[in-house]
Amino acid sequence: MRSILTLSLVFSTIRLATPLVWAAIGGLYSERSGVINIALEGLMLAGAFTAAATTYYTHSPWAGLGSAMLAAAFFAFLLAIVCIRFKANEVVAGTGINILFLGLPAVLSGALFLSSGSTPQLPKDELLPEVAQLSVVSLLALLLVFVTQYVLYRTPFGLRLRSVGENPEAADAAGIRVNRLRYTGVVLSGVLAGIGGAYLSIGQSSLFTRNMTAGRGFIALAALIFGKWRPIQTMLACLLFGFADALTIQMQGVAKLPSGEDVPVQFIQMIPYVVTIVVLAGFIGHSRAPGALGVPYDKES
Amino acid sequence: MKQTAALTIIVLALIAPACRRARYVEDDTSKVHVGIVFDIGGKDDRSFNAAAWRGVKCAESGTLPDGKTSCDKPALGIVLRDVEPGTPNSIEPAMRAFAERGYDLVIGVGFAQAPIMQVVARDYPDIHFAIIDGVVFADDGKTPMPNVAGLLFKEHEGSYLVGMIAAKTSRTGTLGFVGGMDIPLIRRFEKGYEEGAKAVNPRIQVLQNYVGVTDAAWNNPGKGKELSLAQMDRGADVIFTAAGNSGLGAFDAVEQAGMQNGRATHFVIGVDSNQNMVKPGFVLTSMVKRVDNAVYDIVKEVVEGRFKGGFHVYGLESEGVGYVIDQYNRDLVSPDAIREAEDARKKIISGQIKVTDAMAQ
Repeated sequence: MRSILTLSLVFSTIRLATPLVWAAIGGLYSERSGVINIALEGLMLAGAFTAAATTYYTHSPWAGLGSAMLAAAFFAFLLAIVCIRFKANEVVAGTGINILFLGLPAVLSGALFLSSGSTPQLPKDELLPEVAQLSVVSLLALLLVFVTQYVLYRTPFGLRLRSVGENPEAADAAGIRVNRLRYTGVVLSGVLAGIGGAYLSIGQSSLFTRNMTAGRGFIALAALIFGKWRPIQTMLACLLFGFADALTIQMQGVAKLPSGEDVPVQFIQMIPYVVTIVVLAGFIGHSRAPGALGVPYDKES
Repeated sequence: MKQTAALTIIVLALIAPACRRARYVEDDTSKVHVGIVFDIGGKDDRSFNAAAWRGVKCAESGTLPDGKTSCDKPALGIVLRDVEPGTPNSIEPAMRAFAERGYDLVIGVGFAQAPIMQVVARDYPDIHFAIIDGVVFADDGKTPMPNVAGLLFKEHEGSYLVGMIAAKTSRTGTLGFVGGMDIPLIRRFEKGYEEGAKAVNPRIQVLQNYVGVTDAAWNNPGKGKELSLAQMDRGADVIFTAAGNSGLGAFDAVEQAGMQNGRATHFVIGVDSNQNMVKPGFVLTSMVKRVDNAVYDIVKEVVEGRFKGGFHVYGLESEGVGYVIDQYNRDLVSPDAIREAEDARKKIISGQIKVTDAMAQ
């Protein structure tokens, strides 16, 4: 049996973790400000579709990436209005965005490409460029994590964002405009999740297909919780999920039972979930959410 | 109060464009009505569902889905409606809606709809049903239901031929297979492919991977690409996909490997529809499954009033499966490989070669 622990496993892990890191760090900005963002999945789909469609028309992946950020930011802003201005339940509103993006790309691609949920395939030279087997988006993801770490713990903005998520009353008393910071957090989460989605459609693949995130938004959310809402831990959690996924890919058809038979696919594909459960239950301990997560701020109450 | 008003305006603004065109359409009742319910992949997967869509579109208008190019068959003058279910749960209501409105023929695309069709077809015995890749039995579990036609294909035979072409083309002696959802039907592609490859080169190695075990496996091109890259890393230089939209990831993977001296270093083999033009130069051939012909034929049977339930099997002899050589891949496949594949085709039809059917085991 050939070893499965090769350099390609490392690259595969990084490629698979990239969209998770963008979405999870996006979620971090939103949730640290006190707004639950369960809409990461939908925001990623918004980014993925917009990126593929814009790149198809402009032949520039950078235009695609920019438009993905704008589109996802727009829908994150809608979510923010509903949750912050109108104090709607954040889980319900986020689910609404997710459901919207099961259908909206199908409608739009019907109007634009006479298809029902996918975009035309892009040629390779119109995709986001790669440096040494890794997309630039993957490398930027690493940068993002450290920038976030700095912003969150070393800048006034980061301090205010955290205080708004922990104790909005105290923050308000200190003169911080709670809701404005929450809007910023949620919109930032849209921008970042949009980049994660764009990576899926114009980095890793060359087209958008319906619901192509396949649950990655929720896995990112799990990584965020698992990383205790801290940037570096969250990235490590994303890498762990990426590694488990890469391992299933590398092991399939390679791993043998003692009898010489292939290990069944179903068994191998169980690995990421088992890893998640074991790690969550066994090693992480208590994960404490930001104090005011999910509680709309009302000045009068 | 102000907030409620503002919310109402937002909601109305969102749904107003949808309402504008939602008029009730009065269909011409004298025509035969055909309803088709697609698989989760959706009708533009460039593969399996796309083939079914071409078949019904051809029956409706005599053209391909672009509405312009002729499909070389006469239009049958039908009224066509289609549904693309977003989740498996919306298949049954869609099917029932067609039956309830008295459609003459309801077509279900994909094996997953068989158990649903069994329930619906029992409730509407006067309506004709057709299912692609599936079999629907009556309550005794043995005889096929009289109002359901099961359109079946001998995928293993077509896969055998592309397996031969792959083995003739491979320089590394290693081939890859990327399946979508791990189900017996896809195992049938894999087994035939492997047998064909081994018939050419008994020592050839065939790597096989599946995208997943749920229906999300048909819509995950990112994972399809990763699986292909992993196979290429282990030496595979021709990869056959049977994975719907996920298979398109394999096309990206071989393209990424690039060309040497004007020839691709790695090839992919398309499936169901002719995918040779998806990435010209990188697609060795496509194992086509003529779902379009089968669907057109069944519509024609209904229009002409000679619908028969039971199994309709399409194999090499009826050109229900096969491989494609066209202007996109003529220079990629050696004449020698084509000659051997043609020879095997005749032998399979005459019964001299028996290809294992993984579903019959």
